[in-house]
Amino acid sequence: MALLYLALGAVFGLVLSRSGAADYNYIQAMFLFTSFQLYGIIGTAVVITAPGLWLIKRYGRTVSGRPVVVPRKPRHRGNIAGGILFGIGWSICGMCPGPIFVNIGEGKIYAVAALAGALAGAGLFGVIYARIQSAFRLPRLVIGTGGAGSRS
Amino acid sequence: MPLILNNLAPIHWALAGAGIALITLALLFIANRRLGISTGFEDVCSFVLPIGYFTRDAVRLARGWRLPFIVGLAVGGFLSAVLGGGWTPIWSLGIFDQVIGFGHAGKLAWMFVGGLFIGFGTRLADGCTSGHGIFGLSNFELPSLISTISFLAAGIVTTQFIYRVVFHL
Repeated sequence: MALLYLALGAVFGLVLSRSGAADYNYIQAMFLFTSFQLYGIIGTAVVITAPGLWLIKRYGRTVSGRPVVVPRKPRHRGNIAGGILFGIGWSICGMCPGPIFVNIGEGKIYAVAALAGALAGAGLFGVIYARIQSAFRLPRLVIGTGGAGSRS
Repeated sequence: MPLILNNLAPIHWALAGAGIALITLALLFIANRRLGISTGFEDVCSFVLPIGYFTRDAVRLARGWRLPFIVGLAVGGFLSAVLGGGWTPIWSLGIFDQVIGFGHAGKLAWMFVGGLFIGFGTRLADGCTSGHGIFGLSNFELPSLISTISFLAAGIVTTQFIYRVVFHL
């Protein structure tokens, strides 16, 4: 299965690479309202994914016959605060998380620094999670049950 | 506008959007996986930081698909360069070079700081452009709509501030 995920990731990476979604200029042009490209990409992706998702959930089975379970993300104060912080980072780097990996593959040296920062930022979040949990009403962690976690 | 990568012409947005949708649906239909990339940062952190947050089930149980997927993203970028004029190390950063013009060290520092915001912010929001913006919106989830509006708005304000206020385009 790992090879399947790697292949899906590679096709995803190719699309991001050639569409402008992993291009600093196109990200800035989206935020400067001088190019429709990225709005068109995200909009088209949602417009096609939504009915497909509905069909898969209605059918309720994966291709191998297993039941489809779609975990939903919890709502909390971090949605806005974290979204704002991420948006600032998206603008600064001209990359969101997927394109960081795509840009590294393309050979863009500076993307390695963006990845290092992202790992440090995620690490910091994990370290202080217990301390900011109540302020942002973050969910309790599910550890070691063997089942699906409440926070995906 | 050509891409920074080898000055290639980008594919049409509708084609790119359809491709992203098909991969998102394939992940769900084939493997029952919810598309989400920023959680991959946690997968990597979980190898060096064996503390509560990174040992929770949602991370532990998804490493087997998310790690190969993010490696695949880099492979896709590499193939894109090889198939589109050749792979070479790239330092150029488009309008950043024309308007802000930092050297290599400055660029790395700039990217590291931006990365900190991306890493911390996506974890606090519990998702990024893929998990909230594409999957969450497509699944009509309110937290995803709230997060997506927040990061698009913050991106617009930050870029407008950088390129229209501090450095004039």
